[in-house]
Amino acid sequence: MQEFIAQTLNGLTLAGVIFLVSSGFTLVFGIMRVTNLAHGAVYLLGGYIGYSVIQSTNNFFLGLAVAALAMGALGLGLERTLITWLRRSEMAELLATLGLIYVIDDVALAIWGGNPLTVNLPGFLGKSSTLPVSGIVYPNGRIFILGVSVVVAVALYYLLRRTRVGAIVRAGVDDREMVGALGVNVRLANTLVFTLGALLAGFAGVLGGTVLGLYTGGDSDMLLFALAVVIVGGLGSFEGAILGSLLIGLVVDYGTAYFAAFAYSVLFIPVIVVLLVKPQGLLGRQGV
Amino acid sequence: MTAGGPPASAGATTPARPGRPAGRLTRLTLVILEQSRRLTGPVAGVAAAVVLVLILQGNGFASTLVEDALVYAIAAMALDFMAGYAGMVSLAQAGFLGVGAYAVAIAENHFLSPWAAVGIALAVVLGAGLALGIVAVRTKGVSFVIITLALGQVLYGLAFQWTGLSEGDNGITVASLPAIGSFDLSNPLTLRMTVLAVFAVTALLLVLFTRSPFGLSLRGIRSNEQRLAALGYRTSLHRYLAWVIAVFFAGVAGILYVFVQGLITPTTMAFSANGFLVVMVVLGGLGSIWGPAIGALVIVLFQQEASTYVTRWQTLMGLTLIAVVLFSPGGFWGLVRAAGRRRDALITRLRGGPAGENGPATTAGQASGAGQAGGPLALETAHPGTEPRQTP
Repeated sequence: MQEFIAQTLNGLTLAGVIFLVSSGFTLVFGIMRVTNLAHGAVYLLGGYIGYSVIQSTNNFFLGLAVAALAMGALGLGLERTLITWLRRSEMAELLATLGLIYVIDDVALAIWGGNPLTVNLPGFLGKSSTLPVSGIVYPNGRIFILGVSVVVAVALYYLLRRTRVGAIVRAGVDDREMVGALGVNVRLANTLVFTLGALLAGFAGVLGGTVLGLYTGGDSDMLLFALAVVIVGGLGSFEGAILGSLLIGLVVDYGTAYFAAFAYSVLFIPVIVVLLVKPQGLLGRQGV
Repeated sequence: MTAGGPPASAGATTPARPGRPAGRLTRLTLVILEQSRRLTGPVAGVAAAVVLVLILQGNGFASTLVEDALVYAIAAMALDFMAGYAGMVSLAQAGFLGVGAYAVAIAENHFLSPWAAVGIALAVVLGAGLALGIVAVRTKGVSFVIITLALGQVLYGLAFQWTGLSEGDNGITVASLPAIGSFDLSNPLTLRMTVLAVFAVTALLLVLFTRSPFGLSLRGIRSNEQRLAALGYRTSLHRYLAWVIAVFFAGVAGILYVFVQGLITPTTMAFSANGFLVVMVVLGGLGSIWGPAIGALVIVLFQQEASTYVTRWQTLMGLTLIAVVLFSPGGFWGLVRAAGRRRDALITRLRGGPAGENGPATTAGQASGAGQAGGPLALETAHPGTEPRQTP
């Protein structure tokens, strides 16, 4: 039982990291219809940058901030150049971001090499505590990740539901032509969302680097998780990203723990079920 | 390899001035151009075949390279059949190549004869394609890419994690190759010629498919599925068939792959490998069948040779893909087609026909492919306003 609870906590931690990556992916798709296949590569690059900053300054939070800001800047740059140039076709954008994966991965390989790296947590976060009631000894770092992702989720929810920018983004997900026709600066909203998505991915890279490690291929793993989330939750749905992340995080973790040979295949079960029963995703809208 | 040749080079050296009465030079140019329109394709095809056979006779580096490229070309052309004609860009093609390869290797390691292993592999790939197609074909456009990406990763995950069956990271070796009498695939020359023959048969079959009513309906589906459905076509069945065909040939390529390499590992099915096949198709030219074969040659050349000189060849490849998507969406074959169109326009002008009009002899393939405004990349989602929208 204790092991099961620990596994569940691990799954929730993983879900937290997956949520940070997939929420940006799904919002970018929702408002811009851009399928950014390089989102996983941005996650990994952010993790590597955070790793280097932490190694040289010994300051975990500085690394977290630098990685997030650097990836936000990368996102801003990409949105203003490549994505803008390719607005005519969704498939062209998708293929260009596929090319971007090779570039980012290769550059990361050149700088950080092919050996797996782990981001070290500072002081208290690097230790473990005994959890109340169950008496399980659990790493503080994982609890921290869980807490941070909940805070980010609440903040994003507030941003989307309670602010003008959020209203524009939600309206853009529903009908971006109409929003544009109403005189709203959709262009600016696109840039903001894309930048925010990349920023969150870079942020998640450092957090993910503490528990999952940073390794070649880590980007396609995370991309797969994010894609599974958006299929299950519904492309463009923020609430769907929360629900999907929880589901995928737990499924992946239980799968890895209890069916090691089929960890990836188990992940596909909810995906297939959702596709067959509700192709637009659990919380997705039709036509999106 | 210069299949397709440079058809416009003849015209480029003799610039023609419109409005002039046809002199001897103009008439000669016209004859050359018209003959080139008729002959470029067949001549280039025969030349390519001769060059390939000559290279494959050898035992050196070039012959190994071409052999590997031909194996990938089979999978890439099949992917193009699905992606370029039906608009279904799959990121699982290398996964199915791996399924075919693993099926052969596993069957052989269970003491089956090589021929039985080949039969089983074909059946397994066909079965996998039929079953997974039910899920994949439910989606279109970008969602299809996402689903196939996930499918491909699951296949990779099985090869990587199901160590009881796949030996995990170590991969599986294949010891014995099929043989009947003097036809023995363990003879490298026989194997290379067999690869070439399978490549040729695949290419011809795929070209036949694209020219059949079925191929035309796929193009219709790519440009406007609603309209085709309204005309009474069972569009999802057509797309399902295109998927099964593409998957089947990926499996065929996989069987050849494991015989050529003697080893299959999960890396062959990794995300980057799935991406490589898409890159081959896009660089070569979506919707051209022959272009992806050239794309396969270029990528395999890069992978095996340039990687020793250009350490960051993947950066180069990624940037090339982005550049192609930005500036030449038709890929290499798009350039060939554009050259062909320039030649046709030149012919029309030299004949004194109305300027600016397409030559009457523009072939169906040229008109339907790169002739559209957005090129082959303008798949079904090029007009966001016309998407079906059922928001309440």
